[in-house]
Amino acid sequence: MNLAILPVLLLVAFLLIVAIGLILLGRIFGPHRAGAVKEMPYESGMDPIHDARRRFDIRFHLVAIAFLVFDVELLFLYPWAVASKSPAGVDQAVVSGLVVGRELVFAGVLFFILLLVLGLIYDWRKGLFRWR
Amino acid sequence: MTIEHVTVEALIKIVILASGVLAGAAWLVLVERWMAAWIQMRRGPNRVGIPWTNIRLFGLGQPVADGLKFIFKEEFDPAHVSRGIYTLAPIIMLVAALGVFAVVPFGSMIPSLGHWMGTEPIDLMIAPGIDVGIIYVFALSSLAVYGVILGGWASNNKYSLLGGLRSSAQLIAYELPLGLGILGVVLATGSLRLDAIIHAQATTGWWFVFTQPLGFVVFVVAAFAEAGRLPFDLPECEQELVEGYHTEYSGMKLMLFLTAEFIHMMTASVLIAILFLGGWHVWGMTPPEQEIGWGEAILRVAVLFIKTFGVVLFFMLVRWTWPRFRYDQLMALGWKVMIPLGILNLVAVAVLGEISRDQYGMPWGSLVASWGLLMASWLAVAWVAPATTDNRPETTD
Repeated sequence: MNLAILPVLLLVAFLLIVAIGLILLGRIFGPHRAGAVKEMPYESGMDPIHDARRRFDIRFHLVAIAFLVFDVELLFLYPWAVASKSPAGVDQAVVSGLVVGRELVFAGVLFFILLLVLGLIYDWRKGLFRWR
Repeated sequence: MTIEHVTVEALIKIVILASGVLAGAAWLVLVERWMAAWIQMRRGPNRVGIPWTNIRLFGLGQPVADGLKFIFKEEFDPAHVSRGIYTLAPIIMLVAALGVFAVVPFGSMIPSLGHWMGTEPIDLMIAPGIDVGIIYVFALSSLAVYGVILGGWASNNKYSLLGGLRSSAQLIAYELPLGLGILGVVLATGSLRLDAIIHAQATTGWWFVFTQPLGFVVFVVAAFAEAGRLPFDLPECEQELVEGYHTEYSGMKLMLFLTAEFIHMMTASVLIAILFLGGWHVWGMTPPEQEIGWGEAILRVAVLFIKTFGVVLFFMLVRWTWPRFRYDQLMALGWKVMIPLGILNLVAVAVLGEISRDQYGMPWGSLVASWGLLMASWLAVAWVAPATTDNRPETTD
């Protein structure tokens, strides 16, 4: 087992115990009084007309999809960002003959960013970011 | 290092960190209320001191009283919620908010404590072996979206659902500029580790706020939005959505939500201090030598904490001086201004880094270029979207 990840697992376990423990603490020490009005959803004093889970604006879905695309594209840029400066990265690959030259890698990344920009412009022209 | 060593060391750090952050959040709430009182020219909380005496201690007992009150208030699940998800959402929020601190260095190192712990200096970081630091931070902080959307959905309340949807759209929109701001820093450092990022700034003496001012602006704005603070507090929106996704929450679960939100702000402050303000580095005070004694170690911790506290105060000052954005303004700022500026910053940092690759530190040419870029993009934004009195949502585009 890799020991590097162990502290993170311990932290998450500890935090789960703390969070659940706090909720239980409130359960144990707090009062318990139910009531018909208390059980209703809060809508500023109005009686709720129907269930809250109805159709909502498609735009939230479109924005989420646009986010997924851009976020994954950004994640692809992280390895390059590390490799372009780190001594064991692009320079080492050039020395050992894995890539032809540093300029080629850089040009490739710029082309990738250009694709990202084109995607953004397309979404913009399609009116995805227009809320009213 | 055996498994026992790692476990014991990690557990000690975890307990210190978790209690420190939670207590810090509690008393920073008090600081925020004092700040609010100062700005609104009233007194603020100054009563609660030691119980059964007349000692008031400037209200320093207020967080303890608030915590006790949360414990003794009713922990109520209304009948119309989905119980499982409803309980899960605040737990996810708190775990994600505090879990981020696993890779955040608090200062740099302290000397070894004794023979049992070995002779290596101890990293002031819970998981020093994690090399993907900033990606881990990014991954965990985006889990907060799940807490928000699950809480909003499970509450089965129209305000909560709308608040949850709005909030998740806002959080994911501003995660892109956040990532773009970080990418510039990673590009200039060549490492994802937060301590390596501090070290890079300390060795050159150029904090990234000076060398990448545009990236700093983009990152700070995105961090405000991610933390859900004014002027980006649309998830909460007391006047319109009645606290949004936690309308239906009460008691301890509400406290978990509120604490997690406050911790998001503290995380954002620590990250701003580490990524752009040099972490524990101050010129002439904390030189970046490898060998450190106790004095140096404590000084570094103190410097990082002072910087973080300064950023927290800035967050609070902004909260009490700025009005809230409208939703279309928020989305337009995120997608149409911050993301293009972030991409611009990334390309500029990459090109400048590629040109001046052989020089050590920051040459003056690229410094002038990056500040010129900030000014140019500011002017461009002001020219494309000038301030008007009629700022109704645009109907054509």
